Amino acid sequence: MKRLLFASAVLVLMAYLSLFEIRAVGQTAGPDQHRAMLNTYCTGCHNNRAKIGGLALDGLDLQAAADSAETWEKVLRKLRGHQMPPPGSPQPPQKDLDSFAAWMENTLDTRANGPKAGHVPIQRMNRIEYAASVKALVGVDLKATDVLPQDGQVDGFDNIAAALTVSPAFLSQYITAARQVASLAIGNPNPRVGSTKYSIAANQNPDLPLPLGTRGGIRFNHNFPADGEYRITINDLGVGIYASTLENQSTLAIMIDDKTVFRGSIGGPEDWALHAKGPKGRAQIMERFSKIPVQVEAGVHDVVVTFIDRSNVESPHNIADPFFDALTLSCSCAPPGRRNRLIDGVVVAGPFNPTGVSRTASRDLIFVCNPNAKEESSCARQITENLAHRAFRRPVTADEVTRLTRFYEASRKNGGSFDQGIEQVVAAVLASPNFLYRGILGAPGGLALTDLELASRLSFFLWNTGPDEELLRLAEAGGLTKSGAMERQVRRMLSDPKASSLVTNFAMKWLNLDSLESVKPDAVLFPGFTDQLRRDFSTEVEAFLRSILLEDRNLVDLLTADHTFLNDRLARHYGLSGVSGTQFRRVTLTEKERFGLLGKAAVLMRTSYADRTSPVLRGAWVLDRLMGTPPTPPPPDTATDLSQKAGEQPKTVRARLEQHRDKASCNMCHGVIDPIGLPLENFDAIGAWRTVDSQAKASIDASTVLPNGVAIDGVVELRAQLADRPARFVTALTERLTMYAINRKLEYFDMPQVRAIVRAAEKANYKLSSLVLGIVNSDSFRMQAPE
Amino acid sequence: MFITKKHISRRAALKGAGVALGLPLLDAMIPAGTALAQTAAVPKQRMGFFYLPHGAIMYNTAHGPVMDKWTPSGSGANFKLSPILASLEPYKKYVSSFGNLENAATAGSVHSFTPSTWLSCTRPDTGRTKAHMAVTLDQVISKIISQDTPLPSLEVSSETIVQTSAGNNSIYTTLSFRDADSPLPMETNPRKVFLQLFGEGDTPQERAAIGNQTNSILDLILEDTKKLQGRLGNGDRAVLDGYLESVREIERRAQLAEAKDVSALQIPTAPVGEQEDFAEQVKLMFDLIALAYQADLTRVVAYVMAAEGTNRTYNHIGIPDAFHPMSHHANDLERLNKLAKIQTWHVEKFAEFLAKMAATPDGQGTLLDHSVFMFGSNMSNSDLHNNYPEPNILVGGGNGKMKLGGQHLVLPEKTPIANLHLTLLQKLGVERDKFGDSTGIISEI
Repeated sequence: MKRLLFASAVLVLMAYLSLFEIRAVGQTAGPDQHRAMLNTYCTGCHNNRAKIGGLALDGLDLQAAADSAETWEKVLRKLRGHQMPPPGSPQPPQKDLDSFAAWMENTLDTRANGPKAGHVPIQRMNRIEYAASVKALVGVDLKATDVLPQDGQVDGFDNIAAALTVSPAFLSQYITAARQVASLAIGNPNPRVGSTKYSIAANQNPDLPLPLGTRGGIRFNHNFPADGEYRITINDLGVGIYASTLENQSTLAIMIDDKTVFRGSIGGPEDWALHAKGPKGRAQIMERFSKIPVQVEAGVHDVVVTFIDRSNVESPHNIADPFFDALTLSCSCAPPGRRNRLIDGVVVAGPFNPTGVSRTASRDLIFVCNPNAKEESSCARQITENLAHRAFRRPVTADEVTRLTRFYEASRKNGGSFDQGIEQVVAAVLASPNFLYRGILGAPGGLALTDLELASRLSFFLWNTGPDEELLRLAEAGGLTKSGAMERQVRRMLSDPKASSLVTNFAMKWLNLDSLESVKPDAVLFPGFTDQLRRDFSTEVEAFLRSILLEDRNLVDLLTADHTFLNDRLARHYGLSGVSGTQFRRVTLTEKERFGLLGKAAVLMRTSYADRTSPVLRGAWVLDRLMGTPPTPPPPDTATDLSQKAGEQPKTVRARLEQHRDKASCNMCHGVIDPIGLPLENFDAIGAWRTVDSQAKASIDASTVLPNGVAIDGVVELRAQLADRPARFVTALTERLTMYAINRKLEYFDMPQVRAIVRAAEKANYKLSSLVLGIVNSDSFRMQAPE
Repeated sequence: MFITKKHISRRAALKGAGVALGLPLLDAMIPAGTALAQTAAVPKQRMGFFYLPHGAIMYNTAHGPVMDKWTPSGSGANFKLSPILASLEPYKKYVSSFGNLENAATAGSVHSFTPSTWLSCTRPDTGRTKAHMAVTLDQVISKIISQDTPLPSLEVSSETIVQTSAGNNSIYTTLSFRDADSPLPMETNPRKVFLQLFGEGDTPQERAAIGNQTNSILDLILEDTKKLQGRLGNGDRAVLDGYLESVREIERRAQLAEAKDVSALQIPTAPVGEQEDFAEQVKLMFDLIALAYQADLTRVVAYVMAAEGTNRTYNHIGIPDAFHPMSHHANDLERLNKLAKIQTWHVEKFAEFLAKMAATPDGQGTLLDHSVFMFGSNMSNSDLHNNYPEPNILVGGGNGKMKLGGQHLVLPEKTPIANLHLTLLQKLGVERDKFGDSTGIISEI
């Protein structure tokens, strides 16, 4: 009875509201209508007495909405995500929601009376920024994870100021890193012989593909500390007991910076005969590929050790095949012509008979004067001044230079060479808190950032490292805040290769795609899945993000674009033909289900479990990452598993999710989450297309009714729904990008600025550059509130 | 960067040790004869905290006590270990197990702050971006028993503690907070752990040069930081105070390390990095921890044996399923048995570590006699994410302060785990009547 009364009240009200709307055609609905909607759908729970979720909306004056902006921003987010009213409760019509949201946003935006900006505490570089800065400063390549401890992460980002604390372990590793980088940068004319092993398993870097026409090899960058002879040893060529690799003759080549420095033949009748002699013969073969001497100059060089591909005629299997790839890794039973590959890895040892250190990129960056041409101590000073200036991202005082030059002097006093003295200075600069930390004090007497602070913030935002010379000089001259200067810098910086960090460090983390290696698909269910395929997933999605972000296309293309990047292995995984070879290339798709992010294996695997898909994880990912309306995690003591019981007739995931409908407490959130994940059910847990659930032996049903009441079927229609309201997606992206840019979580008072950025970007076709310009010109970016 | 007085170069040691130093890498590190650590009459106390994610298979699945694979029973001669704990048989007399432990501080945590509340028993303030909780037990203890070692404490993990499944946050997924605002990173790279313990430099000259350079760099940092602070507001100054504290800590450690003589230790070459093979990685971490205790480089260790929420598979013991998804077992017997198998494997690795402790003479006894190791989880039934009863045991003689003989204590229902923490503190002579949400001590140990 009660329910009936309630339902009829709702009907009456809805009729009333629709009448009202007819009257309100052509003008915006006013606060009274919105109050009525709130009273109908919200205040039943969110009133001063019940105060469910700590929220009471009945006492809030809509006329003075800006005074309760923090509350209303939360209300907007819940309504926009259809998370409130909870599924199962009466829902306001979409147009009423839209009308309310538009009116409320407009009110909050035009009458905003909160703080203009937040406060960001002084922050240290994270390890990614440290590595990028060391590269820019002294040209040394570091793998950040090898030298510094993990940084604190917030919402996937590791550049949030408040989470970047310092521990003794960090500091100890940081000082060690400073010393090691200095030593690598200067080079040692007479270093000890060292050896480094590059293992096949750990060196499959998609950024360093093997040269065309070669295969089965390895490619890496090696830092050669001095000019001299180095010896390269190939650990294992698969010349085991079943050495079918030796049946045919083939050629192994070593290339340094694309120049072939060694060619050696392996296989053929002679080697076959040697092999027949047993271990001794095999050792004789391997001997030829052991300690191969090469002359190399100091510095980082590109090294390739690989097999020269035989022609198609000789090798019918020149197209890579995951089955044979997997096979040849473990045995030599692959067909001839595909058998040669490095099994274990390559060792580089040296230098032997070093002859000094000639010019390297690092030394060019450091030695801005020549002590032979200039008085030594004044040259040392000049080097120090130049380095500290760039490292500290501001002009340095004479006193600072003097204090740093003491490191040079102390070393010379102990009998060190000029170079060794400078090495001490480099270490000191890199260890200095002036390099590690950047703080924002603001210009005296105001909230605005100074030109230099703005330059640093801009540079870390777009490049993950401090300003380059042009930006630094501009800021020092007070020119960055001049009209048009910021826009010119943004455009210049976005076209610089360093802007790649927006893909690797922003976008991949925003979408939670930067740690794909932690997803381990069930080897029994997915026997075709390999680490190479996983890397292909990453390569594809990274290239895809790059093509839209850095080519400055409409960001909504992230959802809808019909192009992607494939190699033969990935194309086969997607069931596409016409792509051959292991190199990635741009492909225009005709298969609509693979368009945009929702068709990318990286996304689909990231949001699956090892043994099955998860519409819940997928729905939550869309809501959180793409729509900016994250669901709340399940409360404790909730049975969260939907797995099959042993012996039970296997059910589809969809059927198992039906359990969520049975319980109101589950349905409250899952009524919103699950319907968004279900249309993606045609993709299995590693992102392959399927029409049948092979475990449940049932055909896939990808139909659903979205929380807004729209019935859809499959990924194509889901995508259309998401792209139908581009501003919502772009707003979610802008929020994350702003957080990344200003190194703090957004607050309610940032939202009017976010919306202004999105509105302006709409006129510029939602290009990344328009978002970036909006962000760098916003108060959130340009101002710092007092503590 | 620490410089210990190791007289044998690593390379020399490698040659000297011959074939024994093939693989596995660190076996040969175990010093023969007496532990170097002890010369004083009173043996030093060691403590360690070994964390297992996703609870254990106890009596609170739908199958009831029949499927309890964790809980031991009885005491003394009647003390019986459970299937998961079976490998502790040789050290049975050192084991105390606890029934009915609860940690209210972790209620509502869907993995996201389960690890950090294990040793804090304080709810974190997750509403803020900045970390805010409380100092953890290991760090309190480190300040009492490990201030005269080169490393006051060692924090390590077999794998990254960033939870990709739960919002990509990592602040409360560490085990250790140095103070309320300072989460400590857990090192996953055995090579970096090795360098933390033994420092760099192969010859005395090299080590002296590194030591001098480090000292002058620390001086520069102190000077620069103070200059920088002069220009900052209070909040930023406080951030740099935390940094300065680390600087002073490093200075102090450098001095202690310099005075440390580990020349009798055979130190092999540093491991190359994180091991691809998980079993190797876990073994290597345990070996490094054992070595740290043996050489008295630290007396407090916190070790995340597998990360909370991990998707790792255990193929090496025939389990191809990812740990976390499987831990939502839905009371499925096959899954429960697989989970118990994973838990058993971790206990076995722990037992291998205990064997090293038990084999290392230390004063009148062994290192195990002078240690207390806490092994367990801050979750109970992983399918429910709940926190009662939590599986936890203590192992070790506690320097004469622990009751020996082996026992399973059935505590009053919902006994705060903080009572266990407080008990440990009191045994160390700390005059304190409260830790986290403790309500008293456990007098039976």
